[in-house]
Amino acid sequence: MSPPLAGSQVVTLPFAGRRILVAGAAKGIGRATVARLVAEGAAVAALDRDAAALADLATALSGAALVTAVADVTDAAAIQAAVAEAASRLGGLDGLVNAAGIDLVAPVDAMAPADWARVMAVNLTGPMTVIQAAWPHLAAAGGATIVNVSSAAGLAPLKHRTAYCASKAGLQMASKALALEAAGFGIRVNVVCPGAVDTDLFRSYLEGAADPEAALAAVKARYALERIASPDEIAAAIVWLSGPDSSFVTGIAMAVDGGRSFH
Amino acid sequence: MGEPRFSGKVAIVTGGANGIGAATARRFLAEGAQVAVIDREEPDFAAALAPDQNARLLAVAGDCTDADTLAAFHARAEAAFGPVDILFNNVGQSGRERAAPFHESDEAVWRFVLEVSLFTTLRMARLVVPGMRARGRGRIVNMSSDAALVGDAGLADYAAAKMGIVGFTRSLARENAAFGITVNAVAPGAIRTRAHDRLTPAVLDRIKAGTPAGFIAEPEDVAGCVAFLASDDARYITGQTLAIDGGRWML
Repeated sequence: MSPPLAGSQVVTLPFAGRRILVAGAAKGIGRATVARLVAEGAAVAALDRDAAALADLATALSGAALVTAVADVTDAAAIQAAVAEAASRLGGLDGLVNAAGIDLVAPVDAMAPADWARVMAVNLTGPMTVIQAAWPHLAAAGGATIVNVSSAAGLAPLKHRTAYCASKAGLQMASKALALEAAGFGIRVNVVCPGAVDTDLFRSYLEGAADPEAALAAVKARYALERIASPDEIAAAIVWLSGPDSSFVTGIAMAVDGGRSFH
Repeated sequence: MGEPRFSGKVAIVTGGANGIGAATARRFLAEGAQVAVIDREEPDFAAALAPDQNARLLAVAGDCTDADTLAAFHARAEAAFGPVDILFNNVGQSGRERAAPFHESDEAVWRFVLEVSLFTTLRMARLVVPGMRARGRGRIVNMSSDAALVGDAGLADYAAAKMGIVGFTRSLARENAAFGITVNAVAPGAIRTRAHDRLTPAVLDRIKAGTPAGFIAEPEDVAGCVAFLASDDARYITGQTLAIDGGRWML
């Protein structure tokens, strides 16, 4: 890096010219990621199954280089069409963020097989469906990135979360295996593993608890920092792994968990 | 994008005269920090710095394995720039020129390697942690190596020191999380440094073949990671070991 010329102040946004698809973009971590990416100059395609929340995001970011697409990650045909349209509207794809996910708290004897299957369909198969749809575009881009949002629960287990933990650990290994294959196309594949984050998903977990206040205290006690994260703190890691400063980083699962897994 | 990211911040880089330490010191300077560097050698980059950056660099000649030298360096850095916000514990050496199968290795070499690659990190951390705790903020990044994770035949003492860094990092992170201090480690793989320049083409080819990304990275590729861990963006990341190795280690 050469030193800046005296008196010159050329500011190039780090993501200028980069086109990123975010799946699960309308709320929580995905939404914070979209906001951060457009602020740093990216053109973003925001994909989500929730049309109303997606419209709200588009209003909040009006004027930004943003296109939206409504599709559910468990519907392969819809994802294929939505990703193709997004790539066409942006003129290609340089990056993908998979942020769609659902939680399930259930003792094993009370877990319906359909609930287990649904968690796998959204959290594990869903990201692979989006990756497959985006793959030709990412491979053509040169220097593309994939960031999959797993969970600290995919690194260190949580009670009554068998399906959730398994789906998130599975996503990590799928990402690492893919990283080996993707390297030949100049694509880096990494995983972010958040701890508890202040999102609708987390709030619905608290509301479902017998004593929400005690549940929140118990969650905070899991982390060395003794608090839960904001979506922006997770988005910062996702954006970093999608950008030039992580150029030699691939195949990692980065815990952004306030000190729980010590991965 | 407003103020530079490290404007007003004070950073220490040990072993900052060349390679990864120098690339990171330059990165901190380019993003507005005041940077104190200690090394046995003169920084290779100082002469090329723009005047405004040179004015924010303090380069101290000294051997990091000497406790008194480190303490004096720390005092000088704080006298020049103020309290330390960021510590990059970078200094280390594998003693590669004395590599040997462990059962034939020499205890004097173990002591040297542990001294320079582990004890320097412990000592420097102890110097900065009390001030960081008192101020309720701080960033410490310790240099491990993917030799710790993968193992490194002929360099068992070095791998032990670097795995020691991982355990030290996790423990220091737990002790200081409630004080606004994050402590993380970086574990680089194949990076083009002077130590690497001494390897034979055959060894370099073998390293490349074992690196999924298929190339040997530059010191700047590590500097970008250290800068991230030292930034506000990484405030919820602590106790981690970040592999920067083109995918060589994926656990």
